[in-house]
Amino acid sequence: MNKSVFVFILVVILTISVITTIGVDVTGVNNFKTVFAQIQARQSDVALSNLIKQGQPYQGSKSSPVSLIMFGDFQCHDCDRFVKYTEPQINSTYVKTGKVALVFVHIPNKGFDSWPAALAAQCTNDQGKFWQFHKLLYNNQGPIDSGWVSIPNLKKFAFQISGLNMQEFTSCFDNQKYKALAEHDLALAHAFGFTNSPSFIVTKSDGSNPQKIEGAQPFIAFKTVIDKELGA
Amino acid sequence: MTNVASNVIKEKLVNLKTTIPIAFKILFSNSFYIAMVGVVSTIFWIFFNSFDQLLFFSPIISFYLPDDAIPGFILTNITSILMGILVAMNVHVIRNSKIKLDKSLLSGSILGIASSACASCSSLGFLVISIFGRFGTIATDLLTNYQIPLRIISICILLWALYSVQNRITKRCILDDVFVNRQRENSHHHPQ
Repeated sequence: MNKSVFVFILVVILTISVITTIGVDVTGVNNFKTVFAQIQARQSDVALSNLIKQGQPYQGSKSSPVSLIMFGDFQCHDCDRFVKYTEPQINSTYVKTGKVALVFVHIPNKGFDSWPAALAAQCTNDQGKFWQFHKLLYNNQGPIDSGWVSIPNLKKFAFQISGLNMQEFTSCFDNQKYKALAEHDLALAHAFGFTNSPSFIVTKSDGSNPQKIEGAQPFIAFKTVIDKELGA
Repeated sequence: MTNVASNVIKEKLVNLKTTIPIAFKILFSNSFYIAMVGVVSTIFWIFFNSFDQLLFFSPIISFYLPDDAIPGFILTNITSILMGILVAMNVHVIRNSKIKLDKSLLSGSILGIASSACASCSSLGFLVISIFGRFGTIATDLLTNYQIPLRIISICILLWALYSVQNRITKRCILDDVFVNRQRENSHHHPQ
């Protein structure tokens, strides 16, 4: 093996790794002009009143000045990390104090079972039980497509939620009532350039001045953006 | 037969006790290689932790280590350091040896680099999905679900690559030593 060939391969590998690292964070996350144009074009889509009208699950006050929109998947491990470590801090600091409304938008693309999980969760929202179901699924999260959110298991999870009308839920779930909504959610996520979950938009309640946050980031990252949006 | 095999292994382990410190002494006696280990390890550390969603650059630079990420973080730290040492040792071999590089050196280091880089493939799932569709989903499911065992395998491959590279560094020294000793002996026997 020629020495120069070896050195060349080594340099190529190192260069690729450096470019990929920079690329992920500069091209993927901060491709600001393109993303900003997409966000401006869809400002009305992320207005809190519109999201609630469409049937997106939310927590907090309808009159919150700022919305935090989470694009999540029930099979996504990093979403689980966000729900367990960061969401409680956001809840106590901003949601319960009426400053921020937390809205959930589905991006069911981690595996084959992500789709039925999203549809089932949306059906529980009909009866005001989305956040309980959401917590239950994340607390029981298993490996991707291992069957933990298979259709029978989703029904079993729903059965565990006290006060949920199972007949209503089953009818909604079996008829894929929210298939169109889930498709709309996925299209919305893609319109913002999100392909991975969890991803977030922090915006004023009318959908203006949207700011992107990608990944299960620590509370301080959310605090920085939310405080700026609140004008604090 | 088993006795012979166990003796060979024992002998190799005893040899390692001598050769590994020599290889490290050679490498770390030169500040250029120390810097190289530092730079390469840092590059890979950033690379792995960005993909693992522990290191973020936007909206603010932040590093975050929740409890569930600790085992993966330990493994990526080991991988990054091994990568740094491995690359520096390979560069040392290339710069100092006059012998032709063979395939085992190439496969050792390249396989090591590729496998450790692949340990973070699962984080690239969305890219694979968008490129390969459903097949990509199955592939990334496997990579995500078996992330920890894959990382352990990649560390094993790196250790094997490191073993083969340090062998090359120390063998050259031992050969040099033998050569010098023979020359000395010759000069004693045939004084000019």
